[in-house]
Amino acid sequence: MTDDAVTENETVLSVRGLSVRFLMPGGRRIAAVTDAHFDVAAGECLALIGESGCGKSVLASALLGLLPANARTAGEARLGDLDLLAADERTLARTVRGRLIGLVPQSPAAHLTPVRTVRSHLRETVAALTGTRGRAALRAAVEAAAARAAFPADHLDRHPHQLSGGLAQRAATALALVGDAPLLLADEPTTGLDRDLVDHTVDELRRHVDTGRRSLLVITHDLAAAERIADRVAVMYAGRIVELADAKAFFGTPGPRHPYSRGLLQALPDRAFAPIPGMPPELGSLPEGCAFAPRCDRATDACTALPPLADGIACHHPRLPEDLRA
Amino acid sequence: MLELRDITAGYDPAAPVVRHATLALAPGESVGLLGPSGCGKSTLARVAALLHRPDAGTVTLDGTPVRGWRHRAPHAQRTAIGVVFQQPRLSADPRLRLSDLIAEPLRATRRRDEIPERLAELTPAVGLTPDLLDRRPHEVSDGQLQRACLARALVLRPRWLVCDEMTAMLDASTTAALVAAVEDYRAATGAGLLAVGHDHVLLHRWCARTLHWSDLITTQDPEPVWLPAEVGLQ
Amino acid sequence: MTCEPVTTAEPAWRSHGTERRSTRAVRVRVCVVLVAATVLAVLLVPPLVRLDQQAVDLSAKLLPPSWSHPFGTDDLGRDLLLRCVYGLRVSLLVGVAAALTATVIGTAVGATAGALGGWADRALMRVVDTFSSVPHLLMGIFIVAVFRPGVWPVIVSVALTHWLSTARIVRAEVLSLRARPYIDAAVSGGASRWRVTVRHLLPAVLPQAALAAVLMVPHAMWHESALSFLGLGLPTHLASLGNLIQAARGPLLAGQWWPTLFPGLFIIVPTLAVAGLAGAWRERINPRRRSELML
Repeated sequence: MTDDAVTENETVLSVRGLSVRFLMPGGRRIAAVTDAHFDVAAGECLALIGESGCGKSVLASALLGLLPANARTAGEARLGDLDLLAADERTLARTVRGRLIGLVPQSPAAHLTPVRTVRSHLRETVAALTGTRGRAALRAAVEAAAARAAFPADHLDRHPHQLSGGLAQRAATALALVGDAPLLLADEPTTGLDRDLVDHTVDELRRHVDTGRRSLLVITHDLAAAERIADRVAVMYAGRIVELADAKAFFGTPGPRHPYSRGLLQALPDRAFAPIPGMPPELGSLPEGCAFAPRCDRATDACTALPPLADGIACHHPRLPEDLRA
Repeated sequence: MLELRDITAGYDPAAPVVRHATLALAPGESVGLLGPSGCGKSTLARVAALLHRPDAGTVTLDGTPVRGWRHRAPHAQRTAIGVVFQQPRLSADPRLRLSDLIAEPLRATRRRDEIPERLAELTPAVGLTPDLLDRRPHEVSDGQLQRACLARALVLRPRWLVCDEMTAMLDASTTAALVAAVEDYRAATGAGLLAVGHDHVLLHRWCARTLHWSDLITTQDPEPVWLPAEVGLQ
Repeated sequence: MTCEPVTTAEPAWRSHGTERRSTRAVRVRVCVVLVAATVLAVLLVPPLVRLDQQAVDLSAKLLPPSWSHPFGTDDLGRDLLLRCVYGLRVSLLVGVAAALTATVIGTAVGATAGALGGWADRALMRVVDTFSSVPHLLMGIFIVAVFRPGVWPVIVSVALTHWLSTARIVRAEVLSLRARPYIDAAVSGGASRWRVTVRHLLPAVLPQAALAAVLMVPHAMWHESALSFLGLGLPTHLASLGNLIQAARGPLLAGQWWPTLFPGLFIIVPTLAVAGLAGAWRERINPRRRSELML
């Protein structure tokens, strides 16, 4: 592995005003993602966190061009010179998926074809993405690809069901790394895994970012995993990014500034273990103004107007450092 | 008392997933059972909920030995235990509205007249709103559906609750809300709890006592070396 | 790829993916029209059109399609359009009645076997295997031979030989559903075996069974014609589609195609339309498909 350290962190993915609407029968529109702005730089990991159903998986699907036919998008998502939202299916299939974005799937065991070995999965992907030809060259390339994700070579001839959860995750990561894509996209990579395995998976993903050339976008509701892996955190609520913060400050001191992010952290069993009252609003009928106001203890009349995302926070009454000292 | 003694269980008698596990819960006690995924703890939870007949071993529920599982278990025993599973999508009949889902055990035990009262109590208790009750499972989120599944488990006022990875698919806030709902119910009724999971931070916070899977195994080896002598004595 | 402008002004909305929905909607509409036409023809033509389908006119034998006889005439000079409509009536009656009976038997047996499991399952499936080991037609002939020729023996014969596959499908579906946690939850909530079967298992397999029933209709219609061919089915004066095609074999060899083609189309087109509708209906009724919105 070459290690030409990139000193200035160039932006890999730049999302500007990304919105996704689903058109439902009866003229209903579901605002799954609204006006998302964020960047991910090389060598950086951004964790997109939020409750299930807040629109974060839809955002991932939009980046990969995997939205269903009743979806409409607006805004842009630039990966290099390419706008992912404007690209046609042919471009997405030939140059984006695998080559520009490597996807680390939610449940690796289900992502792999049960009747084929890991080697055969890797061989197919290597041949398709790198154009390697010839038996010996392919064999070497497959083993190199496996080694990059620390997948043991003597397990290459196993079928997915013969792998432990951790090895299946590594196999899936190896596949995602084959195309040497500048952006890795991990969609809930730790759902249902044991805590030890979560730590392990997350550390391995982190390792691929620490080479400095790749960037990683992790979509997760697992706050502990996000704390372990992320440089920056984007908190999503009801389809909008409400806070964008440095991970150290967010999880440590001074802590999150948005009342929703604070509530989310305080719900953790090693913190207050107190739920946020109420439930998230329906994406089909969002309230006017701040969508969190009905559940927020700091809400005032000002919250009937939509707070813009400024200085990494979309809130009329953010927590200030002096609040924390009190 | 909910007592499982020397349970061996699985889906293939030649290769049981649970071997010689023993676990006892005092009335009203909350026990968290930790273990890696695939270790057999879900199977043991199903045995405890009288949903899976063990190959060997005994289960005693409030002093009465359990003689049948699933439909062979008497109504009174089966309904004394409420269960919540990991995946709300698979735990809800996709055809039922949430109100019918929650009320189903009352209908099955011919206590229809209690439905309005129990629905009115449980809906706020698990954090649902009345407008959600008319929806079908595909029209609500995972978190909302799991709240409904918890309400269904509580509707018959069970003396025991078995929660198998109840919050593994859910976010932190919904997890805290569901755990709070379970604890409110236990505080009001004195019900016991067996919570199975792999998140030790969560189970330590939630349960009075936590056990690791390896603590349950009475004998590591199915054929202990001293067994011949023991048999000879009998 | 893209189509239909979105009516909101603010951002420029883009659509993605191919609009499969619209082609499906067109397909469904075509099927609805065809099925409606079939039903109307079968119900309305006999009472409204006061022509005798049996009217023999030996001076108009085997006329090719023309304005006065759109489908031509048969070897006795009878109008084939009229014969086809009457034939469709009889064939549909036999096909639908046999398919419904077979589905009811198959669903009952399959659901019972799947829901009870154990020795009941094994015993019922051995019965299914035994029935399957005898060729359909042979058993059909046996059953028909017991009765006097007529419509009902044919229905009974076809039904009793066609419930086996439905029983297998329903049993397999019930077995897979029985392992779902929601069945566990129902058992834990005190539901009896009967209640689990009727409230949770049967409603889930009914779309499958209904689809099997619809797809069985053409099969049953063909089976009827096979029995008729052997002289054991419907009386020859009854214009079933099977009888019509069978009677057309002679003219076909002489190059007269219309007595074969039009009854054939009368079997194929309505049954394909019904099968198309059944498929669309199943997609609609299955809630799992509708949750694929990732919300």
